[in-house]
Amino acid sequence: MTGDPLADAVDGADPTVYESGGGAVTALADVEFAVERGEVVAVVGPSGSGKSTMLNLLGLLDDPTEGRVELHGSPVAGRSARERTDVRRETIGFVFQDFHLIPTLSAVENVRLPTAFRPVDRTDRAVDLLERVGLGDRLDHTPDELSGGQKQRVAIARSLINEPDVLLADEPTGNLDRDTGVAVLEEVRDIAAGGVGVVAVTHDDLVREYADRTVELVDGVLDDA
Amino acid sequence: MRDRLARVGARLGRRFPAASLAARNLSRQRLRAGLAALGIVIGVFAVVSLGMLGTALQTAATDELGGLGNQVIVSPAAETDAETLNGRDLRAVERAAAGRGTVVPLKSAGATASAGDGQTVAQVYGTTNPRALFGDAPGVPDYHRQGAIVGADVAGALDLRVGSTVTVESNDYRVVAVLPEQSSISPLRADSAVVLPPGEFAASGYSQVVVQADSGGDADAVASEVRDRLNARERRVSVFSLTSVLDRISEFFALLNGFLLAVAGVSLVVAGVSIFNVMLMTVSERRGEIGVLRAVGIHRDQVLRTLLVEATLLGVVGGALGAVLGAVAVVAVALNTDLPLAAVLVPTNALVALGSFAFGVTVALVGGLYPAYRAAWEPPVESLRG
Repeated sequence: MTGDPLADAVDGADPTVYESGGGAVTALADVEFAVERGEVVAVVGPSGSGKSTMLNLLGLLDDPTEGRVELHGSPVAGRSARERTDVRRETIGFVFQDFHLIPTLSAVENVRLPTAFRPVDRTDRAVDLLERVGLGDRLDHTPDELSGGQKQRVAIARSLINEPDVLLADEPTGNLDRDTGVAVLEEVRDIAAGGVGVVAVTHDDLVREYADRTVELVDGVLDDA
Repeated sequence: MRDRLARVGARLGRRFPAASLAARNLSRQRLRAGLAALGIVIGVFAVVSLGMLGTALQTAATDELGGLGNQVIVSPAAETDAETLNGRDLRAVERAAAGRGTVVPLKSAGATASAGDGQTVAQVYGTTNPRALFGDAPGVPDYHRQGAIVGADVAGALDLRVGSTVTVESNDYRVVAVLPEQSSISPLRADSAVVLPPGEFAASGYSQVVVQADSGGDADAVASEVRDRLNARERRVSVFSLTSVLDRISEFFALLNGFLLAVAGVSLVVAGVSIFNVMLMTVSERRGEIGVLRAVGIHRDQVLRTLLVEATLLGVVGGALGAVLGAVAVVAVALNTDLPLAAVLVPTNALVALGSFAFGVTVALVGGLYPAYRAAWEPPVESLRG
């Protein structure tokens, strides 16, 4: 990608240290990672290797103790919680392993959720997105009326409501059977083709097949696999 | 119709996202929300019923004591030899009371009243203005020129009615009015009174001057001014006013009401604790969801607002129900006891109901404050992990 190459970057020149229980744990050390528009990157590694920490850093949910996170080439550090929240809403889409849909809201309302407190009504876009992921006939269904694959597709639609630059997925196929996983990953590829950088943290080999490149995290250290 | 309602509901939901989310969250745990609201219902019910009852008792008692508190009675001081007040004294009292009430000079004496075979001891009053002191029973004239007005006891003892003749100190008077039995307490013994025109008295002075003041405050002012004017050099008159006694009685009722409300308030505080507890449970169950809200770009204060609306809704529903039930209970008490309904339906009681409702809502809001704050301010990484 040229022009605006870095959709998002972590430059962890020094370790990210987590307080956990009794002692401090170094979750990530010396990680340099960047994702560009239109590419799908799979991050693999054993449990506890720091994958989730990396995703949280990329998603501005967490701060590195040392090192730098950049978005569109400018550092994120020092921004207030309010600004980070705004950046998350406008630039980053999240997809979680267990979908995290709000059980009292219908599919459309869940998709619209990130814009719920915004002045502009995005219902139409929410409907378009649900139609795009093949749930045009499930608009008013609540999550408990949807299958796992349908829920994940609602979650994907939700992550796209604000036309994000980056999509961060934590085990997107973790709770899905293979066929459903394939459908979801096809969707993710489509999204990337639209100019979105996708980072998927996964155990699933299937995700690697759909990724442009795969990086491996072992004990907080990054390897280009 | 249903469609239209649904559309209106959807539009309102988009307009007030916090309220819409909160209402749906409450509907998830109906029993739990219901029980939390029930706490507020009971608390507000207790405050409203005790508060309104207290106000009603106070109102009824004040009505019973009637104009007593507003009366100032000026009579010759015991130290002076005079048994009557003269015209100068009367004018001094009139000046003191100007604009604050009605001055009624009164002659009085004990006497025996008789009619036919019967006789009874009566308090004979002489005044031209009986209405100010004895009320406007049928037949009581504006200006008392002739005839006698008799109190209920005298009328009963001598079997008198309007048109009968009563004999006082060997003079005959036609009865022009019979006073109804007095319900309120007054230093004038109206029940055993025979009110005559003042010209029927031999003495020229007045045995007392009664000031019917417009309010308790006016009565106080009149009493002190009369003392200043007439007792400055020597103590010429004694000034009797029950205002201070009435104030004491009001203070007592205020204390009683305060105590009752404090007891009722405790139950409301307990309700607040239960809201606190329910909201803590709710936010800890929904940690993950709240984390998602934060992750997808909903601000902390927006999450906080949603949770506070949730707690406040419990207070609004519980408070409204409690206030209505409390008011109904007090009205039911009034209908089944001697407490007059009019004493319940006073503006103060509307304030009591509104105030209790507001208190209930506030308690719920405060109960939700900490849980909401804790949930909204938790870093989303932590909540998502939970």
